[in-house]
Amino acid sequence: MSGSGEHSIVLSPVGDVDGVIFKPIRREIHRIFGYRTRVIPLLDDVGFALDTSRHQYHSTPILNELARLAPSSALKVLGLTTVDLFIPILTYVYGEAQLAGRACILSTHRLQDGLPATGTQKAFLSRVVKEAIHELGHTFDLRHCRDHRCLMSYCRSEKDVDHKSGELCRYCRVLLEDAMKRQDRNPATSQPVFGSS
Amino acid sequence: MGRNRILIVDDELIIRESLAGWLERDGHEVQTAKSGEQCLEMLKDTRFDILLVDIKMEGISGLEVLKKVKENDPDLAVVMITAYGSISTAIEAMKNGASDYLLKPFDPNELGVLIDRITESRAQALENLYLKEQYKESTRFESMIGQSEAMRQVFELIKDVAPMNSTVLITGQTGTGKGLAAKAIHTNSPRSQGPFVMVNCGAIPEHLMESELFGHQRGAFTDAKETKRGRLELAHGGTLFLDEIGEIGMRMQIDLLRVLEDRVFYRVGGTQPIEADFRVIAATNRDLTAAIAQGAFREDLFYRLNVISFKMPALCERKEDIPLLAEHFLRRFAQETNKFIDQISREAMDEMMLYEWPGNVRELENAIERAVVVGKGRKILPEHLPILRREGPAAPANVTLKEVERAHILRILRQNAWNITRSSQILGIDRSTLYSKIKSYHIDRAS
Repeated sequence: MSGSGEHSIVLSPVGDVDGVIFKPIRREIHRIFGYRTRVIPLLDDVGFALDTSRHQYHSTPILNELARLAPSSALKVLGLTTVDLFIPILTYVYGEAQLAGRACILSTHRLQDGLPATGTQKAFLSRVVKEAIHELGHTFDLRHCRDHRCLMSYCRSEKDVDHKSGELCRYCRVLLEDAMKRQDRNPATSQPVFGSS
Repeated sequence: MGRNRILIVDDELIIRESLAGWLERDGHEVQTAKSGEQCLEMLKDTRFDILLVDIKMEGISGLEVLKKVKENDPDLAVVMITAYGSISTAIEAMKNGASDYLLKPFDPNELGVLIDRITESRAQALENLYLKEQYKESTRFESMIGQSEAMRQVFELIKDVAPMNSTVLITGQTGTGKGLAAKAIHTNSPRSQGPFVMVNCGAIPEHLMESELFGHQRGAFTDAKETKRGRLELAHGGTLFLDEIGEIGMRMQIDLLRVLEDRVFYRVGGTQPIEADFRVIAATNRDLTAAIAQGAFREDLFYRLNVISFKMPALCERKEDIPLLAEHFLRRFAQETNKFIDQISREAMDEMMLYEWPGNVRELENAIERAVVVGKGRKILPEHLPILRREGPAAPANVTLKEVERAHILRILRQNAWNITRSSQILGIDRSTLYSKIKSYHIDRAS
């Protein structure tokens, strides 16, 4: 699978993010979506999304800002942050994405919970990569998959993230190919909001 | 916990997808609707166990969805999702039949616990329904239904008389189920393997009755092209049920009396005596003793028939059986007509309980059949039972206003079993006015 040469996917650190996560994410984006990646900071401060009563950040306004600030050459923008994200109905989310849209965001905050005593870094990076691809998958119009081993499966806990593989199931692969063809034909698709854990 | 079919109704995609993903992880089958309109449309074709409905939506609101859903399917569990600030709305939803509500934000684990709790209570409700059905079975005897004391006595009596060979006379108004009682006696008798032959004495013209009962030989009369066995012969080894015996003519009464005495008869035009072994059960809605007094019924035949007798109670004497009977007929006709009607509204049931049912169980059966045919929703409503609303006969032209008022008050009091509060409400006057009118019109229970 390979994406169009003109476009790239932008990885955007939001706030203070450990640079170690970028390399494996960029490698997997290229392997799965076929696009080049660039790292461009777009947002320093996400105080506008802070809910002081919850001490958490509402992911939807951050997404909207990322989509607004992304350079026109960016096919998609993936925000990466360490702050704890939420949507009003749920106590927290790992990330949120615009379905068939342009922006998505992933928080590493909860992905650090319950890591094994040995191989901590490897396990953490594995989780971050899987969820980053998952959120990007939504921007390519992929919905949650019922196959618990598929990257697009919905994860309720870090255990679920650990359990799923680093691959899309064969159905999601076909759907991704279709979406990418559509994307190449018409890059400016509509952007309904979509979120996920 | 069991797997449920759940419908999530929310106008926000993010919520639909998040909750669907979460619940699918628990093994539930989840579908989503983006509006109340879409939800109601989906409910026409698909049956769900649980609905999760956001209260605040564009178009049809969550509360309206709840009301409409509950009208059609009171058993469907509906969980409302609401923001922290609108708890009063959630409470209103609970009053309207919602199973529970979730306050945003919530930990989806809470949702899992809630779904488990609903599943458990649904299982309990189903078990109760099963037990209720079992109880209903115990209120049946053959095809007769009733849990009233009057019907229980009838069931006991039938059990006692069935094993005997004695003639039975069943009395009671039209439509009380005399035929069913006769069939129940036959079914529980040692003759149950034999035929149950019914003769409706009121429906057969007298000139045909002789041939119908005794049969005829070929050539016995102009139309007798073949030899035909009569009902008495056909009942050999079984039971002969003579329905509406009070309608039988004098000549036939004499013939019947002879047959009942020696069980030997001749076909019309026949010379060969025929012996038949049958048990006789007769039924009538007429007062036979009065008919004897008028010379319309033979006393000797009456005593021959009246070896064991019992009266089937009128439906107005066992009103507590109306819900049971109504539900039984509803199930039967809904099945026969293949319609999804399985409830009777409280108002319709109230009207049925107030009505006197002069046509007894048969009238109730017909009323329910009609209601099932004309009903559109899942529930029988008062407007589907117009028979209960028919006006009484018009008052004669020469009665005074006071006489009309007295008659109307008396009618309302009787319909409401002399409940003064309810009667005064219906009449639109207060209790003390009603009392003074009862006194001034000299109305009492014997009126």
